[in-house]
Amino acid sequence: MKLSAALLGKTYTFASVKEVLAKANEVKSGDILAGVVAQSDMERIAAKEVLANLLVSDLRENPVVPYDEDEVTRIIQDGINETVYAKVRNWTLSELREWLLSYDTSEVAIRHIANGLTAEVIAGVCKLMSNMDLVYTASKIRVTAHCNTTIGGRGIFATRLQPNHTTDNVEGITASLFEGLSYGCGDALIGLNPVNDSSSSLGEVLKRFDEVKKQFQIPTQTCVLGHINTQIEAVKNGAPTDLIFQSIAGSEKGNTAFGFNADTVRHAQSLLKKHGTATGPDVLYFETGQGSELSSDAHYGADQVTMEARCYGFAKAFHPFLVNTVVGFIGPEYLYDSKQVIRAGLEDHFMGKLTGISMGCDCCYTNHMNADQNDIENLTMLLAGAGVNYIVTVPASDDIMLNYQSNSYHDAAAVREILNLRPIRPFEQWLEKYGIMENGRLTKIAGDPTIFLRKGGA
Amino acid sequence: MPIDATMVEEAVTAVLREMNLFSPAEKTQEKEPSLQAVIPQITPAVPVVVPIAQLPAAEPVKQEENTAHKDFSDPQALERMLQKTSARIGVGKTGARLRTDTLLHLRADHAAARDAVILDVDASLLDALGLFAVQTKCTNRNEHLTRPDLGKIFEQETLNELLQKCKTGADVQIFASDGLSSRAIEANLANILPVLNDALAIHGLSAGTPFFVKYGRVAAQDTLAEALGCKVICTLIGERPGLGSAESMSAYIAYKPTVGMPEANRTVVSNIYSGGTPAAEAGAYIADLVVKMIEQQASGVNLK
Amino acid sequence: MKQSPDNSLLSVGIDIGTSTTQVIFSRLQMANTASYFAVPKISIVAKDVVYKGGIHETPLLDLQKIDMEAIRRIIEWEYASAGCTPAAVGTGAVIITGESARKENANAAVQALSGFAGDFVVATAGPDLEAVIAGKGSGAQQYSADNNCVVMNLDIGGGTTNIAVFEGERILSKACLDIGGRLVRYDESGIVTYVSPAAAKVAQTLGLALSVGSHANETLLSALSKKMANLLDQLLGLAPKELLLDDLQTRGSTPFSCPKPIAALCFSGGVADAIYFMQNDYQQYKDIGVYLGASIRESSLTRAFTVIKPKETIRATVIGAGSYTTTVSGSTIHYSPNLFPLKNIPVLRLSDEEERALFAGSLDLQGPFRWFLEQSGAENIVISLKGKTDVRYDELQAAAAVFARCVHAHLPTRLPALISLERDMAKALGVVLRQAMPERPLLCVDGIYAEHNDYMDFGNPLMGGLVIPVVVKSLIFG
Repeated sequence: MKLSAALLGKTYTFASVKEVLAKANEVKSGDILAGVVAQSDMERIAAKEVLANLLVSDLRENPVVPYDEDEVTRIIQDGINETVYAKVRNWTLSELREWLLSYDTSEVAIRHIANGLTAEVIAGVCKLMSNMDLVYTASKIRVTAHCNTTIGGRGIFATRLQPNHTTDNVEGITASLFEGLSYGCGDALIGLNPVNDSSSSLGEVLKRFDEVKKQFQIPTQTCVLGHINTQIEAVKNGAPTDLIFQSIAGSEKGNTAFGFNADTVRHAQSLLKKHGTATGPDVLYFETGQGSELSSDAHYGADQVTMEARCYGFAKAFHPFLVNTVVGFIGPEYLYDSKQVIRAGLEDHFMGKLTGISMGCDCCYTNHMNADQNDIENLTMLLAGAGVNYIVTVPASDDIMLNYQSNSYHDAAAVREILNLRPIRPFEQWLEKYGIMENGRLTKIAGDPTIFLRKGGA
Repeated sequence: MPIDATMVEEAVTAVLREMNLFSPAEKTQEKEPSLQAVIPQITPAVPVVVPIAQLPAAEPVKQEENTAHKDFSDPQALERMLQKTSARIGVGKTGARLRTDTLLHLRADHAAARDAVILDVDASLLDALGLFAVQTKCTNRNEHLTRPDLGKIFEQETLNELLQKCKTGADVQIFASDGLSSRAIEANLANILPVLNDALAIHGLSAGTPFFVKYGRVAAQDTLAEALGCKVICTLIGERPGLGSAESMSAYIAYKPTVGMPEANRTVVSNIYSGGTPAAEAGAYIADLVVKMIEQQASGVNLK
Repeated sequence: MKQSPDNSLLSVGIDIGTSTTQVIFSRLQMANTASYFAVPKISIVAKDVVYKGGIHETPLLDLQKIDMEAIRRIIEWEYASAGCTPAAVGTGAVIITGESARKENANAAVQALSGFAGDFVVATAGPDLEAVIAGKGSGAQQYSADNNCVVMNLDIGGGTTNIAVFEGERILSKACLDIGGRLVRYDESGIVTYVSPAAAKVAQTLGLALSVGSHANETLLSALSKKMANLLDQLLGLAPKELLLDDLQTRGSTPFSCPKPIAALCFSGGVADAIYFMQNDYQQYKDIGVYLGASIRESSLTRAFTVIKPKETIRATVIGAGSYTTTVSGSTIHYSPNLFPLKNIPVLRLSDEEERALFAGSLDLQGPFRWFLEQSGAENIVISLKGKTDVRYDELQAAAAVFARCVHAHLPTRLPALISLERDMAKALGVVLRQAMPERPLLCVDGIYAEHNDYMDFGNPLMGGLVIPVVVKSLIFG
């Protein structure tokens, strides 16, 4: 294993695989904050050079968090298909990159090989990819998952409808929900971030979601994104939920800071198999975001892209219905500006897809970040081109509860039109039945939430 | 292009719509009395699935012509929905895109939020309140935003200045900081500080010399409490602004904090502004918390 | 008022109505509904009716007198069967409603019962308050708040129809008519045994021969009740108004006028069951209740308005009394120790103009304060005002100076200064007032709306001292 490279007459030497991974990263303010960033552009390229020549086995054998100390590492390493791994263990990362991009490589082949790649390998190849490489490769890969409906089909661009409210007022939430439905949003999920993380409050909203879903016979999924333990309690108290949600990190320490571990997730999964309202097998929903490990000092000196890849490796073990990065939520100390947010969004989506999970993205930004709505619209179109499973949508892009901006309900419809993408098929048929969509386009009556207020619906 | 009747009507409707967009908030404020306590959070009167949906407009209501939401099949129902949330719903569309007024409102609110983050607190306000200003190790706004680690520490000479100008060993040390919204400090500081000081005086607690910290983060209070030897330290700091309001301030209060202590040891009072807890009222409430902290010698999750 | 360890209050409701006497117990559950990172906000989050007593016929000694002894036995029996003791009850209300309130010994009855029941609040109802209590108990007010619409509740009992119009928390209008199910009664053989003065007026207008001893035939009872339903149509502008409508306005009630269009109607009271559900036997109660219900169901009212179903019909008033008379203050308030309970304190309400002057420091409150204190004959009074949304420090100082001067001049130092606000500012004002009057006991609460000439009760602090329970009532006896 060679950890040095000479560029323009200067030799750059790195102490570990972890350092190579970190310094090969595109510039991120979070890596600067963590003190792991390359000291110069040239050092960054030298690190990429070293990385390109490392073997898949070098990365597998040097996880950034030790196997004995961390259940995330263990879950990822133990989940590797050794037969597949044996085939690729001697590939350099450069070869892996070119193989992924090659015309000769089919989607099936990628899905197969992915079972032999650890999170560090996936993060490593990501660092060798340009933005268009990330879009190009990801667009080859589709990952489907099935809850009440099936997400991830080719040509499908789905949305989570996020009807957040400053006080969890059920009527107010319903108003935003109807608005979103009237724009054709909500096929991936109707999912609320609650203010009040109590099982009774969660139960009240879940009950309303279930009532609306049943009254209008909407083919979709519902969930309220409280803490995993609160959701478990709500389900035990009889709240109807299709999915259980949790924010996850790329190390056990990070997950502990979030107040759960793998056993908690297993418990939630088995609980939903018995008492959930979903008809299909995939009942979990995870959110991630570059930098969350550093914020709880659980990054083990690794860079934020590598830690993010580990989130996906952890998630894969549970075959979630949905996983998305909340890419610009964490703030400028992790992703400084639109350039970094867009890069991170493309990286996360690529890594999620290559890992083999149903990957979406909350294309978003906070007001203390150097980005605006134009940037986020750019990212959304890039990701739609890359075949993202779903995005997050809120009324007119303004989330009044989380105080950040994401995509508007309108954005989803526009992207579908621009790129000729469709909602999940049964949901599209439902939209057609209600006269909201025709031939993939919004109708004249779309955007009118009061159509759901007529007695008995349609 | 000649102007025809339709265009005039559309223009008038647009103006009416816009006026109406602001009416829910105004109505809410006008709605008196706010006996929140009486609102029972129990199931609605009738076993209905979706109460909003169950209420078609009765005939007498129809006598009132509502032109505000004429694009919507049930304008009154939309009005009721708008009263239940501050989310930007009922905004309509052109093609699959936002209408111009919606777009420009969003951009204006974003500009206000950005200004709140980026601009400095008005120096004349600090003068009027008799606060002197010091700065963390951040040298500019950009560094403040990207280096939270520097926003909680100070140059030695700054600490010396503080020791020179401030009373040390007080029961309570209060300081204000821009944090992520200078606007929040401008909107609330003049109303909260005197009430807080009065309330502390009633309880016979000694207050340190108040000051302002530029480019501050919450954890700056740990460094400052150690330096000034106070029992309790209270930081009044601007919250990350949303599009709805850039004026929200938080108070972080800790009993004898130390550098590197768990965040859970801080007590937080957030949402201090005219639309949440009014500043003066928050000041009186914070004084009670301080009294409790000194009695129990604890703060944050350890405070009972 | 007593506090249960689990931060709930047991509340009793006792209603002595024209035809029935009822008792219920309900548990008012309090909780902090604010997030962990914000100033607490204590609300009554649940009002669970834990015991519904029987529907007892109100015992009378004769047409003019309530049988107090029999009522006492009914209530004792209900307490025992609920497993409650007066000592366990933290709050509640005894109210006497409809025609019962006009009996000779009504006041005495309520007072006697309050003694029997111990420490709880006794609120007594006039026709207007009764209407509000019934509208809350029926769920009409909640429906209005949930759906942001104007809802009228009509509580149609034995003797009166109590009307309240709600727009969320706000009461838009109130009214009371002498229309009820037991205005005419007859025996097994159909011979009329009672005709109320109101029923006699209606019969007279229609030219019907109705008097004690006459035969109550189907046609007559039906015509009578159709007219009564028509009078409700008239009230709501669905039929031309007749003089008879004014004649049937209950003594002491407000004339009806509603400033806003009504979106929905809700019926409660004993007659409501006959409106919502078809009855086979029109003469099952030997009165006109079922006829009246059917007439209303077939009237223009139910066609012109959306009709919602109440949570409670015959029990609306008693549940309103037990569950909705007590509220809690805002959660940031100021009070001196050992003040409570304070009962039956008259309310002096400041006008908007007076408030403006108050916060500018220019209000002369002393004259009105002294006059109201003398006129009410009470030892102390509560100053009620709206307050300001985001009050400035100089405004607090100005208001505190006005209050301090006034209280200093007119109240002995041992008596507390009592201030009740709507807007969230009581704790800040309390701090500034405390400095202006360091020696005097002080109570400064917010989140409470009280009108001029209302009376207020303040109970012992709850939820670790964050809030105090408050009852605002519009009338007291004695």
